[in-house]
Amino acid sequence: MDDLYQEIILDHYKYPTHKGILEGGIEAGEVNMSCGDSLRITAKVEKGKIVDAKFSGGGCAISLAAADILLDMVIGKKLTEIKKMSGTEIEKIMGVELTPSRKKCAYLGLEVLKKLVNV
Amino acid sequence: MADYKKLFPLLIKNPDLHYLDSGATTLKPQVVLDKIMEYYTEYSANIHRGLYPMSERATMEYENVRKKVATFINTKHESEVVFTSGTTASLNLVSRGWGEDNILEGDEVVISEMEHHSNLVPWQELCKRKGAILRYWLVEDFQLVMADMETYIGPKTKLIALTQVSNVLGTVNPIEEIVERARKINPKICIVIDGAQAVGHFKVDIQELNVDFYAFSAHKMYGPTGVGVLYAKASRQLQMSPENFGGGMIKEVHKEGASWAIGPEKFEAGTPPIAQVIGLGAAVDFLSGIGMETVASHEKELIDYAIGKLEKYSNIRVLGKKNNRIGVFSVVFNDEDMGTAHDWSSILGSKFNVCVRAGHHCAMPLHNLMGLPSGTLRASLGIYSTKEDIDAFVEGLIEVRKIFEETDNG
Ligand SMILES: Cc1ncc(COP(=O)(O)O)c(C=O)c1O
Repeated sequence: MDDLYQEIILDHYKYPTHKGILEGGIEAGEVNMSCGDSLRITAKVEKGKIVDAKFSGGGCAISLAAADILLDMVIGKKLTEIKKMSGTEIEKIMGVELTPSRKKCAYLGLEVLKKLVNV
Repeated sequence: MADYKKLFPLLIKNPDLHYLDSGATTLKPQVVLDKIMEYYTEYSANIHRGLYPMSERATMEYENVRKKVATFINTKHESEVVFTSGTTASLNLVSRGWGEDNILEGDEVVISEMEHHSNLVPWQELCKRKGAILRYWLVEDFQLVMADMETYIGPKTKLIALTQVSNVLGTVNPIEEIVERARKINPKICIVIDGAQAVGHFKVDIQELNVDFYAFSAHKMYGPTGVGVLYAKASRQLQMSPENFGGGMIKEVHKEGASWAIGPEKFEAGTPPIAQVIGLGAAVDFLSGIGMETVASHEKELIDYAIGKLEKYSNIRVLGKKNNRIGVFSVVFNDEDMGTAHDWSSILGSKFNVCVRAGHHCAMPLHNLMGLPSGTLRASLGIYSTKEDIDAFVEGLIEVRKIFEETDNG
């Protein structure tokens, strides 16, 4: 827990690579009612693969950083692979063990993405 | 300042802890825990039933708490104290038990924009069921707009439900003035007050407030969880239907039907939370022992200290007024890219041993009104709070800012 707010997470929060909106892409959104985080992901899919994706919204540093990390991971991946992804993979890259309440924040991006690939 | 920390076993065990979440729930003093343990180890019988000494004692201790609470909040009659499971249950009991029979289509119900969800949603639902109109009293500059009162409250207003103290802003609403002005417009108006954030912080006098219903929770005033009070004026009790049916609340039961007990028992069906009620009695004794004037002045000194300290930082914004408030401080940072209250609270907890709350504090409409949809960070005081706790909070907050400021690109 002590190193939750470490450099790499704060970097993704302050200087995200995938922040924005992809015009003409498919999209999905979700809110985390417990803290008011809201996240929207727009993505371009070609031949069953995500070729580009962006996130937008407002939320805590953990949910926004996790969304950026997640998009790093999934661009270039097949939708079928994304359907099988779990939150623990994000946790692994973040390099920390999350408490139940912070899991809700960190998993928000994945929740939105799963909604998106299922439509 | 007197050291109250030594009366709380949790703080003795954790001397480095800065517990600043008393608005959510207070810690429990040893005397309360002892009294609960005494019930379980010495006379753990059900009440109102057995005729053997242990059960008689349990009944007596339980009913004694009703007397204690009545004295503590100065009700006219002891029978106006109804035990519930907490503020939320008390408010729901009013909305169903009184509202269902007495609010009709087209009637108006007034609440304020600073209500906790538990003094908002029950009224929303009631109005939906009955076809009544729910009106919101405007909040500006962290307080009710008193000049507007007569525009919200008119001859059609059947009920007003307000919080005495905002759990986000700390603002203490002028209930006596509101009651007086409201009764001039409509003498029969039913006035319901949410006292969750008031009772443990200053003297509450029901007869002076002259309200019809008043709700509070034991766990926010050094008592146990699972129990609360609804003060229900005797004349209003007669207009109420019971919400729960079963043992303990009846006068007679026949195959064809039943009749209800008269008095608070009508609303206390089933075996009540006996140990918790007895614990509440000990909490009342604890507060009376210190004296509510002492409690209030202890907190006032800390409030002034905290505001003075927080004001020095131009990038921290404290919501709320300087005066007429209790020790609940909701803060946000004035600039962007500093994370949200969730981040600050989680860092303060893990790195600085400071327990504060993040989010909407069950008051989403108020946060949306203030333009703070991702919530605020809230520190709240209790009798055991000290200047050191406030220092730890403010210094921790400055460190949190640094963590976000020091992240450079690359
Ligand atoms: C102003 C106010 N009203 C109502 C409540 C609800 O109290 P409880 O959860 O004990 O029912 C709270 C506590 O969070 C509160 O602060």
